[in-house]
Amino acid sequence: MKNFLKIIRHNSLFLKMFLIMLVSIVAVSVLITFSTIRMSHNLFMETFSITNSKVLSQIKQEFESFSYSVVFTTMSVENNGTIKRSLIQDHVTSTDESSSVYTISQQMENIYSDSPNEANMIVLGENKRLFNMKYAHWPVTAQELLDHRITQYTRANPGTIMYQYVDGKITNDVPMLVATKALMERSTDNIYGYLYIPIRERDLREFYGGYTSKGNDVLLIDGSGQVVSSNKQEWIGQYESDLLAVAKDTEENNLEYQEVNVFDKDYLLLSASLPALDLYLINLVDQEMVLDNLVDTKEIVFISALIVLIAVVVVFLISRRITNSLRRLVRQISDMAKYDFGKPIDESGGYEARKIAIAFNYMLNELQEHVDELLQTQRRQRKAELEALQHQINPHFLYNTLTSVKFLVKEGKKEAAFDTIDALIPLLQNALGNVDETITVEQEVANIHNYVQINQMRYGDRIKVNSLISPDCLHYHLPKLVIQPFIENAFFHAFTKKKYGFIQILIAQRGDKLICEVIDTGDGMEVDKMQSKKGKRQLFSGIGVRNVHERIQLLYGPAYGVEITSEVGKGTKIKITLPLSDEKTKDITISKNNTKRRFLDG
Amino acid sequence: MKYFSVRKSWILVFAIMTIFTLAACSSDETGGGSGEEPDEITAWAWDPNFNIAALELAKESYEKDIKLKIIENAQDDIVQKLNTGLSSGTMKGMPNIVLIEDQRAQSFLKAYPDAFYPLDEYINPDDFAAYKLAPTSLDGKQYGLPFDTGVTGLFFRTDYLKEAGYTMEDLSNITWEKYIEIGKDVKAKTGKDMISLDPNDLGLIRVMIQSAGSWYVKEDGTTVHLKDNEALKKAFQNYKAMMEADFVKANSDWSQFIAAFNSGDVATVPSGNWIGPSIEAEASQKGKWAVAQIPRLDMEGAVNASNQGGSSFYVLNIPGKEKAAEFLAETFGSSKQFYQDLVLDVGALGTYKPASEGEAYQAENEYFGGQKLISDFSKWMEEIPSVNYGMHTYAIEDILAAEMQNYLNGKSLEDALADAQAQAEAQLK
Repeated sequence: MKNFLKIIRHNSLFLKMFLIMLVSIVAVSVLITFSTIRMSHNLFMETFSITNSKVLSQIKQEFESFSYSVVFTTMSVENNGTIKRSLIQDHVTSTDESSSVYTISQQMENIYSDSPNEANMIVLGENKRLFNMKYAHWPVTAQELLDHRITQYTRANPGTIMYQYVDGKITNDVPMLVATKALMERSTDNIYGYLYIPIRERDLREFYGGYTSKGNDVLLIDGSGQVVSSNKQEWIGQYESDLLAVAKDTEENNLEYQEVNVFDKDYLLLSASLPALDLYLINLVDQEMVLDNLVDTKEIVFISALIVLIAVVVVFLISRRITNSLRRLVRQISDMAKYDFGKPIDESGGYEARKIAIAFNYMLNELQEHVDELLQTQRRQRKAELEALQHQINPHFLYNTLTSVKFLVKEGKKEAAFDTIDALIPLLQNALGNVDETITVEQEVANIHNYVQINQMRYGDRIKVNSLISPDCLHYHLPKLVIQPFIENAFFHAFTKKKYGFIQILIAQRGDKLICEVIDTGDGMEVDKMQSKKGKRQLFSGIGVRNVHERIQLLYGPAYGVEITSEVGKGTKIKITLPLSDEKTKDITISKNNTKRRFLDG
Repeated sequence: MKYFSVRKSWILVFAIMTIFTLAACSSDETGGGSGEEPDEITAWAWDPNFNIAALELAKESYEKDIKLKIIENAQDDIVQKLNTGLSSGTMKGMPNIVLIEDQRAQSFLKAYPDAFYPLDEYINPDDFAAYKLAPTSLDGKQYGLPFDTGVTGLFFRTDYLKEAGYTMEDLSNITWEKYIEIGKDVKAKTGKDMISLDPNDLGLIRVMIQSAGSWYVKEDGTTVHLKDNEALKKAFQNYKAMMEADFVKANSDWSQFIAAFNSGDVATVPSGNWIGPSIEAEASQKGKWAVAQIPRLDMEGAVNASNQGGSSFYVLNIPGKEKAAEFLAETFGSSKQFYQDLVLDVGALGTYKPASEGEAYQAENEYFGGQKLISDFSKWMEEIPSVNYGMHTYAIEDILAAEMQNYLNGKSLEDALADAQAQAEAQLK
């Protein structure tokens, strides 16, 4: 969990960027896909309703011309005296009957040849004479037809042409639409026969079959709501009064189309009424199916999904690439603060990241150079300062020493005066050399003895100085004036209360370090106050206790330096830690890196 | 290098997207080349209970493997489709095998001589009833494989005839004049009409004239032969005599024709043998029917045998013709056993003469009082005079039907036929 959060925090830029891109890409794609589908849907609906209205009116025209030819045929049959006579007469002789049958057939042939389409024509007399123009289409007998409901309806409505749907046994299960009309004597309104103009449903379908397609269905529905004809055969004969109601509504309100749910599906309904046939022509468009044919939604969605996928992958890779280099940059920079300023960061990753890294590295280099220079300057300055201090041999010291010598000479202590002068000479020689120069432990010890000798000569020997030098250390080098200031300090400050005591000097090698200890048995002090003690007049040179530590660290690094422990009334112990150094090197030890790090850490 | 590989991956992505886009744009193209040799042989026929059933039977009995697709079409549709298809010359959508009525066959053979495939190499025409060969061949080449016979018989009600005092012997080998006399007796004694006729269909006239070896056209098949056609004259006279004898029940379609005898209204049905099943359909009249030879015209050369209807198979000259011809030849063209099955299973009487020796042909028909109907018919079949129907049978008949009415209504026979001749010549010129 913690790791996970860490990963999130480390990748937050990437995650933010990627999420934003992801969301925008998906949003754009979804919106575009959706609006494309919607637009094509709308466009389709618009054009479809226009073309289908036109188609519908064309179909309507076909039906109207059919109904016109039915009307025309009906009139011709009604007005045909021969037919009327044949249907009324009861024939006595075979000759009469034969000629009557022949003539009526001829008359019907004439009338029938005018009527187009695949419609049949049947004339039935009340005397059960039946004339069937297309026997093969509907082999019906006179009695069957006379007893059938369509004849009964016709008898009940003698004045009008009725279109009736017939199906079932009587038609051998071939559905038909039959136009019927009673044939009446004008004068008496006596019905002498019936005219049937049956058209098989499959022939009726020819009127509109060419305009239909999958999902674009046409059906004819009669006044009772029964589907009379359709290119969808399973609908034929069904009662769909809801559909009829919608069709009526569409027609009455002059709507272009309506959306309906019939046959368990959503359809777009266009309709036209065929008042002459008492039928409604209905065009049902299965939106889904037609749209699917027209607009391949799946494909569009698939393509956009694919585009999204590709874009996301590309965005993922690119943003990862960009943020990764940035992230690496950030990590390197923050690590740098923790560990090492000197290490330049990797110049890798994207163009921008590389530029940043280059600029950063350049800046770092500049900074380092600057710092180095600064450090150098400071060191030089410090060195000059120390040198100045070193060279600045206290005139009081010389004056006092020389005064002491004068008195020795005056007192005739020639030997002592000589010794004192002899001690002073190497002391001065040593002090006036380069501050960087090192001397061997042996020389330093000699210097200290000289200094002690001068002081003892001046102040008497109430303070005894002993030195214990490990012989294997004699050849090691150490900077000048490192131990002397502490001896001086002990001489002048450690013995103000106590008048007698010892100063011990111990030099030994410990590990890879040279340890010099100056131990006095004087008054001791509080370590904190040591810094503020400033002996001035009696000092041998400008270099005091205070800057020894500084000098050592300047020369050798933080591992070395001066450590003071003191106990009031018991004495003080000074421990100077130095590296073991065999030669008289001028460039003393400290690497550039170390300097730098010290600087940056500080 | 890394930069370059990134570039490449972009190109790849672009290429992939391009491919997808192109794939989306392209659509399936299905090409339909017309195969040289079709797997499937198609056949057109019109009667599921008769000729289509016969084809199915042939398919079953055929020993080789064949994919035969039998398509039912109304006879009028077949005529129309053949005319449209053959006249366009493309032969597209045409069947391999088609059934054509004999009286129409010549019009097709003459109009489209190259459209049909001669079967001489596959069958022996002499195996078939002689009268079938003229309509099914042209210029000495046999194109049709004769299928069913329309051999006629006089179906009659034994009970009515008996009531009027007639037996089978009295009806055998009679002339039409004798038939009319009997008819009058029957009408007088039983009150039943003798015959039912459709005034628009002169089928009976055709039966009469073929029994005398005559037709509406001369032997060349084209010269109209109505005026001075002795047989036709006699036929007309007989027709009018029937009308005047007042024993004719008029009908105007098939169901009325069937109803006329099924209801027991008429005593005889002179017709092709194919009417048998329709008569048998009325079970209540079982045992009350028999079949005599058809009456003949009272003139020299006339026989008591004629033909009404009948059809033959033709192979169209399109890829698959060899397969189709072979199929027909091995079933309808040479298999005696097949014809036995055909008679038993389908009730179709073929015109393949060797088949009449088979057992099935000797079967007695219970409905017709144990008469060996098939045997009788195949005997009569061989006697049918051969005529060339020519091309215009139905066109001429329309003219004749009108003149018949005129003749019935008092026009003189000579004038009526002369007028018909003139009209026909003018129309068919």
